[in-house]
Amino acid sequence: MFTIRIFIFLSLALMLVAAPAAKYTDTLQPGKAALLSAGPLAFGPEGILFVGDPMGASIFALDTADTKPGKAAPVNITGISDKIAALLGTTGDQILINDLAVNPISKRAYISVARGRGPDAAPVVVRTDASGKLETLSLDNIRHSRVALPNAPAPDAKDRRNQPLRLEAITDLSFVDGNVIVAGLSNEEFASNLRSIPFPFKEASAGTSVEIYHGQHGRFETNSPVRTFTTWEVANQPHLLAAYTCTPLVKFPLADLKPGKKITGVTIAELGNRNRPLDMIIYKKGGANYILMNNSSRGVMKMPADKLESFTSITAQTEKQGVPYETLEGWKGVEQLDRYDEGNALMLVRQEGGSADLQSVALP
Amino acid sequence: MSKARFLFTAAALVTVPAAVAQIQITLEGDPPVFRATGSSVLPRLKNPNFSAIFRVSLDRDDVPPMAGDYSVQGGTLIFRPEFPLEPGLTYRAVFHLVTDKVSATFTAPKPKPVSTVVVEQVYPTVETLPENQLKFYIHFSAPMSRGEAYQRLRLITGQDQPVSLPFLELDEELWDRDQKRLTLFFDPGRVKRGLLPNQEVGAPLEEGKRYSLVIDQEWKDAQGVPLKQGFKKSFTVGPADRTPLDPKKWRLTPPLADTATPVLLDFHEPLDAALLMRFIDVIDINGKPVKGTVSIEREETRWTFMPAEPWKAGAYKLEIMTALEDLAGNKIGRAFDVDRFEQVDQTIAADFYTLPFTVR
Repeated sequence: MFTIRIFIFLSLALMLVAAPAAKYTDTLQPGKAALLSAGPLAFGPEGILFVGDPMGASIFALDTADTKPGKAAPVNITGISDKIAALLGTTGDQILINDLAVNPISKRAYISVARGRGPDAAPVVVRTDASGKLETLSLDNIRHSRVALPNAPAPDAKDRRNQPLRLEAITDLSFVDGNVIVAGLSNEEFASNLRSIPFPFKEASAGTSVEIYHGQHGRFETNSPVRTFTTWEVANQPHLLAAYTCTPLVKFPLADLKPGKKITGVTIAELGNRNRPLDMIIYKKGGANYILMNNSSRGVMKMPADKLESFTSITAQTEKQGVPYETLEGWKGVEQLDRYDEGNALMLVRQEGGSADLQSVALP
Repeated sequence: MSKARFLFTAAALVTVPAAVAQIQITLEGDPPVFRATGSSVLPRLKNPNFSAIFRVSLDRDDVPPMAGDYSVQGGTLIFRPEFPLEPGLTYRAVFHLVTDKVSATFTAPKPKPVSTVVVEQVYPTVETLPENQLKFYIHFSAPMSRGEAYQRLRLITGQDQPVSLPFLELDEELWDRDQKRLTLFFDPGRVKRGLLPNQEVGAPLEEGKRYSLVIDQEWKDAQGVPLKQGFKKSFTVGPADRTPLDPKKWRLTPPLADTATPVLLDFHEPLDAALLMRFIDVIDINGKPVKGTVSIEREETRWTFMPAEPWKAGAYKLEIMTALEDLAGNKIGRAFDVDRFEQVDQTIAADFYTLPFTVR
């Protein structure tokens, strides 16, 4: 779900050189991180784990203190979903795995879990490594900070008389260049809500919410929720590559994420019908850059990430329009995907019996 | 479920060599904790690895030990599970120090499941839906279980044929906080014009045909118990609605002064039930919201507001968010999928539409 991108490394490296005294973890306070749910995960700098809490309408920054550099040793943990359930004193059918993120420093895998399926399910973050040893990340006393997401994307959300039924699912989360970018989907309005929140979190700032539209073959346009996204340089400008719930892959410059701005993303690929994109990572192999995307029903797709500026908006309807992609043979049931190291991905693969395995695999 | 108090029953102690015969493993307390009592060796150990000495897990092979904390009180080693124990599951506690090994299993009885939860309402309630209907809201009488929604929902035609993949299936499942209301979107790629899925497989609903949304009885509530009964909502499909909401066509009926009668707002079409509850405010002449209760009537074509106190004569207004939607996701001044060739100037920048009225 999350990858730290090259330009983030570069910009962070520059920041650290310029201001070595300011550590992100210094801004986090010890105490109980009162998550109501543990959804999407993303690593930031210094081993900080960002956790989306949709039930609590919040984003938490947790200091994992997991900053000892590690190597991406091969991982193959069969039945990890059942093992996580046992660690939590229950059975595999009573947990839901929500996300997977690799700590880019230690290379340990972090997995967000709901223990239970009802509204009072306990939020849990579990971590593991190539040894297969599982442990929970204690949320009772951990250095952390929290930012609340506004209840509604409306510019002037008010206190309402009625008990709110509205809740926003957080569909993706990423730390980019000093900001946490959050993609959300409301259970009432079908609208885009992409939010950019400066980190360290500040009390009064829930960040910038922008409306993102995508053109449909130059004719129709819709305000639509983003399912997953990643960042990448297009023509030397940092861009967001976003996949919608309704299949188009679009690009737009990160610099466009400004308050009140209406953004129309340029559709650079349509990824086929009856499909939901799940995660995207970007990697380099043999001098070229690629996007790897896992999907609900169309397997894992690989497409070039170079020269995306050369793909203009799609204007005709053919299946393989826009950026060409190939669907990888044999990559089946990939529910979660993150970059492990330069040459490998870590993925959670659902088996036919219902249990899931954690596997590392060489990037194709 | 997790907060209930359970009486755990211990199964047979096994493998009891003479040297540790006095060691007892118990599970008691609220919340229950595992105790291994009677070890004379334990207090003398330096830096013991408690999790190796006293391993508590599910009663299965090849599972990791459970997460929790250890503490020692005299000769008693205590394991406090991080998460509540589940009724119906069997837990194994093994005390193993040097060559001595004591093991016990504990099971809490599982109460007999009783199905009580039903589907209370599905919105929209109207009989005819537009071809580009955007979503359903399914209201349950009690909290439901997450993670199986799309296995338990089907759309079938009037001839009982299943419609293939009509809905947007999101792993997140769009519930409210109590998990009593599920929002079910139709696959937007099929509803929106011009997208590949719409071109290839078409919209999920076809004008003139009849369909049913079928909710399986097997869907489990938050206690893991199936619904008391299934549910079926049948409807007919009318033409697609691609027209922005036009408040000029609505009819407002003001209340009378000194009465606690409702203000009524009638629409010429049904609107989104959830947004209607949230997106309209009554504002008095001082700009303050009036306190009262909203209800939605006449198949979501009427919004009523009952004031908490009798109306005072004077000027009021309804403040309506322009993000209010009809059944097809069209908003005030903006259609769901704007055809930029046909409708150039439909976008309204304002967040609110204001409808003034006078109470006499």
